[in-house]
Amino acid sequence: MKKLVVSIMVVVLCLAPSLLCAANKSAPGAPPVYVITNDDGTLHSYATFYVAGGMQGDPTLSYLENINTHGFGIGGGFFGTPRLAMLPSSSAQCLYVSNASSGDIAAMDISTLQLVGNFLGSTNDNGTSNGIGMVLNQNYLYAGYSLSNTIATFSVGAGCQLSFLGDITVTPLNGGWIAGMALNGNMLVVTYIDGSIESFNTANGIPISNNDKQNAAGFASAYFPDGVDITQDGHYAIFADAAVPTTVEVSDLSSGKLGPTIPYLVSEPTNVIGPGVNSATVRLSPDQSLLYIGNSQSGTVSAAFFDKNTGKISPGCASKQLKNFYNPWSYIGALATRDTGGTGTVLYAAEFGSSIGILNVTSTGTTCTLTESASSPVTDESSPGLLSIEVFPPRPF
Amino acid sequence: MRAIAKCILSFLIAAAALTSASAQVQICPPRPLAGTLVVNPLDLYSQNGVLNVDLTLQNQFGSDGFEHYCYVYLYQGQQVEAPTLRLNPGDHLVLNLTDNIQAPYYRYPKQKQMNMVMHQPPRPGTKSSDDCNGGDILPSTTNVHFHGLNVPPVCHQDDVIYTLIQSGETFNYDVQIPPNDNPGMYWYHPHAHGQATTQVDGGAAGAIFINGVIPGTQGLPERVFVIRQQFKNPNSWLPGPNQLTVNFQPAIFPNSPSPYINVQYNQPEFWRIVNASTQAFLTLQLQFTSGFQQMEVVALDGVPLQNPLYESEIDLPPAGRVELITPGLPNNEEGQFFTAGFDTGPVGNPNPPQQLMKIFGTNDLKAKLRPAPAPTKPPADRPRFAGLLTQQPTTTRSLFFSEQTVGSNGPTQYFITVNGQKPHVFHMDDPPAIVTNTGAVEDWTIENRSGEAHDFHIHQLHFLLMAINGVPVQNPELYDSFTIPNWSGSGPFPSITVRMDFRDPNIAGTFVYHCHILDHEDGGMMAKIQVNPSNQH
Repeated sequence: MKKLVVSIMVVVLCLAPSLLCAANKSAPGAPPVYVITNDDGTLHSYATFYVAGGMQGDPTLSYLENINTHGFGIGGGFFGTPRLAMLPSSSAQCLYVSNASSGDIAAMDISTLQLVGNFLGSTNDNGTSNGIGMVLNQNYLYAGYSLSNTIATFSVGAGCQLSFLGDITVTPLNGGWIAGMALNGNMLVVTYIDGSIESFNTANGIPISNNDKQNAAGFASAYFPDGVDITQDGHYAIFADAAVPTTVEVSDLSSGKLGPTIPYLVSEPTNVIGPGVNSATVRLSPDQSLLYIGNSQSGTVSAAFFDKNTGKISPGCASKQLKNFYNPWSYIGALATRDTGGTGTVLYAAEFGSSIGILNVTSTGTTCTLTESASSPVTDESSPGLLSIEVFPPRPF
Repeated sequence: MRAIAKCILSFLIAAAALTSASAQVQICPPRPLAGTLVVNPLDLYSQNGVLNVDLTLQNQFGSDGFEHYCYVYLYQGQQVEAPTLRLNPGDHLVLNLTDNIQAPYYRYPKQKQMNMVMHQPPRPGTKSSDDCNGGDILPSTTNVHFHGLNVPPVCHQDDVIYTLIQSGETFNYDVQIPPNDNPGMYWYHPHAHGQATTQVDGGAAGAIFINGVIPGTQGLPERVFVIRQQFKNPNSWLPGPNQLTVNFQPAIFPNSPSPYINVQYNQPEFWRIVNASTQAFLTLQLQFTSGFQQMEVVALDGVPLQNPLYESEIDLPPAGRVELITPGLPNNEEGQFFTAGFDTGPVGNPNPPQQLMKIFGTNDLKAKLRPAPAPTKPPADRPRFAGLLTQQPTTTRSLFFSEQTVGSNGPTQYFITVNGQKPHVFHMDDPPAIVTNTGAVEDWTIENRSGEAHDFHIHQLHFLLMAINGVPVQNPELYDSFTIPNWSGSGPFPSITVRMDFRDPNIAGTFVYHCHILDHEDGGMMAKIQVNPSNQH
């Protein structure tokens, strides 16, 4: 009997490394999964690359490299501003990182982890107050400058080069500033953090307003859309409201314009202290079955069930408060999923302060869980105020 | 040649002086330079039961780069800023306030412009042409709050909702100090919603004293310190470059020498301090060469303590007052008075340590100060709020402070909410969040659900601090402002439980409660309470 136990143990020990490798996303031979941060540093700003790894159910992040953006950030700003951008394709090779203080966009080659260049818009463009957001398609990159309220259009050239084409100035309804941005096909949707939202047609390069500027429904309750995401088919835009109870709003884009938004109060989950506070960021799962919501001021992440056919949202689950909330990090920023299919399996949360939260996701389609991993959070040392995070290969939309 | 050079030099100096004079018309009185002697503000005393004061509120960018908002009083032909008002219980304070603020729109960022033109509709059933009937709240609009005085919330007294004074107007206040109000330190400052921060940051604040006996202080040299905070950009909600001042003198050591005072060796003194800053939480400490000193606290928020407290560290939130007796400075020693800093939480504003004053000793009798004036009336048999501790509360309520924000740099929406109601940014035309009746005694528990400290304040009343975080306070005292620390992110929300006294029929009316971080108040962390006469429901 004793011999049998020993034999089993030997077999297990021999197999263990290969089992470990099978669960490790950065296994030799497999392309690495990068988790990338815009560190937004005020004295020197980096994009930091981490490699996703760990066992199933126990994901980890390993620091890989800091790439100097050769620009300067501001260490904070709007939660919903996307400060990192890349094409939603595994073949994408260009990463764009905005530098809010120096006002430029750093272009990087993901395959070589090298800075390609820094690109400026017009002299009017200014994002020093709350950041520079970016979205792009195959041909153009759109940069929203929070202080000047301008959207600059750059053409995307070979080798990740950008060429500035021109600016438009936006005029939020209630005196706000451009914050959240999302692009699907020729539909560019932006939020102005004062309750108003607007969409633009980018078919001709420079955005043209769809003349649908409006106050979101939440405006009446002083809920201000901040982050925004668009479904893969471009049918719906989903807005994250800076609101005390977790609230998101959905707009139907099928008319080519923003339809009136429908607010969804994602009811209080049972496993967190109180309702989510300040639900300022959203991210659809790759299969669009779940909508992840960052509750920036309660240190929790919610997941709501999303019906991509109807655009309807129903309550799902929420994490417990993520570790080290308010000690030392203080807000949840952007969210990103590790896997490019399904629920994404692992969710990363930018923690302002600065670290990266790592959560395991499970879903049966009607119930779900969000559980912080044992190795979470991972310190993002070179960031004074992390708000933006992305994953490569990216979600395919 | 030398004579010519001298002549040219004289001409240049004169020209420069003329240029300077034409560029800078003196609207606000010059403020003391850093590193100079701190002197008490000018005292104005009531006579025959009345204190008549004419003040003009004006504004001007000073040569120090800060915008000054100055309460100007003409004294012997000279402009004097923010005098101290001294009255007896039962006296009338007749204040004629002229608004001479010049605040064009273009000075303000766009976002501010959007928010700054608020409007207070008239009271129901009255005409807009009546006094105290609302109107637009512009950057040049002002009014006065008599902070801490337990006086009625009505027109020409202590109403900040409907009383709006526009630039160019003179408004008459006539406030009767309740005959049974507590002797101590109070203060006056602007309270036009949305504009209070800018005006108070600019220095618009002064001390009020109700004369009376505060045990242990008789005959002691009296000093009055009004601690303010000025901001380079008062229109920015982000706390940019700023500095504390003591009686208008910058306390910016080591960038500049500290303000200083000369005290008689071995002579205890009676210090009366108001934190007139908009957002600085002070942790006051006194240190002599021989070490840290205990201070004998004799009154808080204008109310003498039942028993003095002996403290080496005194927390003083924005709007708080402390009156204390300092120990005598031993021979051949020096001292410093400073704030040790205060942690307002992970999303709160910085409150770094700062030396406020140096203290030097002297045997020169000329440096001796006057004591506080002796009371002219005997103390009231039954002071305001007497017996509150033993009252049975008629109602209990729960409220909470919370915030929502669109980014790490804001803008942030600030809320104070009655449990069960919806968090809501305060607007001037809001209905009351709480309705009660005179005669009521209520216990309120106020939680802080945000990551930064807040400073609860209610107008017209003092409240009895009953419990902190649910733990009963051993010797409850009266306050009108009290700090609720930030929520740590886990566990129960920090809270205070206070007892509100609506028994006085003079309290009937509508008034406000709010966070006294004035940025928060201007940002909406305020609500109304309506107290109906007890025969109405």
